[in-house]
Amino acid sequence: MSGCPFLGRKYPLFTSKPSQAEEEDESQKGINKAMKGGIVYGEYLQLDKVLSAQVLQSQEKGNKIHDEHLFIVTHQAYELWFKQILWELDSVRDLFIKNHVRDERNMLKVVSRIHRITMIFKLLVEQFAVLETMTALDFFDFREYLSPASGFQSLQFRLLEAKIGVADHLRVPYNRRHYRDSFHGQESETLMSSEQEPTLLQLVEQWLERTPGLEKEGFNFWGKLQANIEEGLKMEKHKVEKMEDSEVKEDLLADRNKQTEVFTALFDPKRHEHLLSKGERRLSYKALQGALMINFYREEPRFQVPFQLLTALMEIDTLMTKWRYNHVCMVHRMIGSKAGTGGSSGYQYLRSTVSDRYKVFVDLFNLATFLVPRAWVPKLNPNIHKFPYMAEFYDSSYSSYSSEDSD
Amino acid sequence: MSGCPYFQRKFVSTSKQHLKEDENDDSQTGVNKASKGGLIYGDYLQLDKIVTSQVLQSELKGNKIHDEHLFIVTHQAYELWFKQVLWELDSVREIFISGHVRDERNMLKVNTRIHRIVMIFRLLLDQFAVLETMTALDFYDFREYLSPASGFQSLQFRLLENKIGVPHNQRVPYNRRHYRDNFRDQESELLLHSEQEPTLLQLVEQWLERTPGLEEDGFNFWGKLETNIFEGLRREKEIIEQKPASEMKEEMMGELIKQRDIFLSLFDEKRHDHLVSTGQRRLSYKALQGALMIYFYREEPRFQVPFQLLTSLMDIDTLMTKWRYNHVCMVHRMIGSKDGTGGSSGYQYLRSTVSDRYKVFVDLFNLATFLVPREWVPKMDPSEHTFLYMAECCDSSYCSSSSDDSD
Repeated sequence: MSGCPFLGRKYPLFTSKPSQAEEEDESQKGINKAMKGGIVYGEYLQLDKVLSAQVLQSQEKGNKIHDEHLFIVTHQAYELWFKQILWELDSVRDLFIKNHVRDERNMLKVVSRIHRITMIFKLLVEQFAVLETMTALDFFDFREYLSPASGFQSLQFRLLEAKIGVADHLRVPYNRRHYRDSFHGQESETLMSSEQEPTLLQLVEQWLERTPGLEKEGFNFWGKLQANIEEGLKMEKHKVEKMEDSEVKEDLLADRNKQTEVFTALFDPKRHEHLLSKGERRLSYKALQGALMINFYREEPRFQVPFQLLTALMEIDTLMTKWRYNHVCMVHRMIGSKAGTGGSSGYQYLRSTVSDRYKVFVDLFNLATFLVPRAWVPKLNPNIHKFPYMAEFYDSSYSSYSSEDSD
Repeated sequence: MSGCPYFQRKFVSTSKQHLKEDENDDSQTGVNKASKGGLIYGDYLQLDKIVTSQVLQSELKGNKIHDEHLFIVTHQAYELWFKQVLWELDSVREIFISGHVRDERNMLKVNTRIHRIVMIFRLLLDQFAVLETMTALDFYDFREYLSPASGFQSLQFRLLENKIGVPHNQRVPYNRRHYRDNFRDQESELLLHSEQEPTLLQLVEQWLERTPGLEEDGFNFWGKLETNIFEGLRREKEIIEQKPASEMKEEMMGELIKQRDIFLSLFDEKRHDHLVSTGQRRLSYKALQGALMIYFYREEPRFQVPFQLLTSLMDIDTLMTKWRYNHVCMVHRMIGSKDGTGGSSGYQYLRSTVSDRYKVFVDLFNLATFLVPREWVPKMDPSEHTFLYMAECCDSSYCSSSSDDSD
């Protein structure tokens, strides 16, 4: 009736003796290894700790509210995944800090782990839908027992932000205090260290500055690009000027002028420094050049995986801001315009963090402003310019293959 | 440059200046409640337990493998959510067992919680994509340290299966042993109880048997339906017989006979009981009638939420089988045809569990076999048949609004 190929085939339902056919059944081969001792599932995963960590405050206070369990488990799941993200993030930062990244065989590992972080963030964004099965009315029933606990006190979340590269001075203040004030003792120290150690942004910046092809005495990508763009814009302007006077011509001319302005700004190092000081740009001028180089020459073998890395870094920013926005929407539904349990303005504060000030790799997004027709990109001659085809891994001072652990 | 409305509005970037904020800024109103003592986030969620329970076996054995952390965290996240599913499932079973479900004001709660289980399962399905960022090669590097721990020893997963209603006599044997052999002492006892206590399937079955409209001395849905169906089939036969002889007429007659046979089987109680004994059907004959009644009259106010419940129950089955299949696919990629760490045949065994024998609410799916044209459904007269509009909530022996806890 059910059409299932496995139903009723070989497994007799009420007899205890296996049928003849079972002797040959592949799915039945094997022995129960756990009978001979050794670590079992629950011990391996320390489930005695993990599964005994759900204590409802409402129940402690004598008014058990069913939905509080969901609230607790959801947050614990988030913190588990934050730990995993930090594990991946720290291992990647380490590859850069130890210079192992100069051995380009390590790039696969770097990109795989950064991509894994984006996959985890995707899950964390989807996870909101589960908590959203709780209504504001149900939340109201136990919210009073939570105060003053608040997401502001999530150490791992702050560590995550800091280690990726969220700029301390760009943060929206919280109740006019520094975000670190929510933490004390060792937690506060851990947080401070994370602000001082090299962030992913800084490490990627240094890596970008080393992009092959930037050398002025070598390929001189930037010089060539500037020349090509100026030439290209000049030619386009001539073409337009030769047209008959009309409104269309006016529009096209205005457009060309705007383009010229945009590219003049691109090639102005002082302007870049100015934007850097305001926080509107985060990468050094040289790093920006490296990023544009990788973008334009992404199909060259040596730049393929680096290009994937830049894409994955932008994906992290995008997912983090989606996470923030999902959080805002849910909080608004749950508490309207009431204050947060930690004492903040709640919805208002959270809304203000959905902002480009928290976008770490903002420069990579903005590179799209400077895209040019393929013809303007300086030509690479494979016979002369070997660097896009030859990865570096011979320098044994950087080789990481004989290192102690697999990190 | 960035177009973000919040960027640069008031928050100047250099050092201390950002602390001089606009007194009217709503996002800044508030006070840091946690500075006055009281429960904080990390304590509320017992993060000291959760975040310290990741111990890599590979590291203990002196060969730390990076990806083992992901493996551990993924499984811990699954177990956290299993706990949440059990929390919701047990609360719903309790509402049925205690009789509170007879107060139909409790149906919203029942439905909401079953739907929440569906949402969690959707997340658990999406979670595979995160573990799939680990390659078979990376898994191979630490797999040896895991044995004999295995998912077979996941107590919560078995509890879940049992409490929903997976019948143990339908289970695919594992190494020709009973699945409960993987557990000892208290865990084994818990498992035994979960087989003996009322399952969701049994409770829903009893509830379906009480569907208003089934009473033979009342609306007599089943009797009326049987009459209408065979009358309808008879009329269709006449229409076909009047057509001139042709191949198409033969085919149509063949189809009609097939339809008739299907409906004959539907109204044959002995046949139903036979299918129940072979495990192809799970619900009692009366419960099946109740389900079909709810399907046909789902738009009547009293049946709307019950209909949603039946849909959600099927969603649970669908998601569980998708979960099993996702698991199979991933295992195949990770270990090919090697044995599982618990000693089973691995992929082969898992493949055999993707089967209708594990589909608990299989009867609800099969109801689609018996859909008929709307006109054949017995007519309902609102002035005569008021049972469809009047929910039961006045019987104080079942009333649960004033109960002790909010469960």
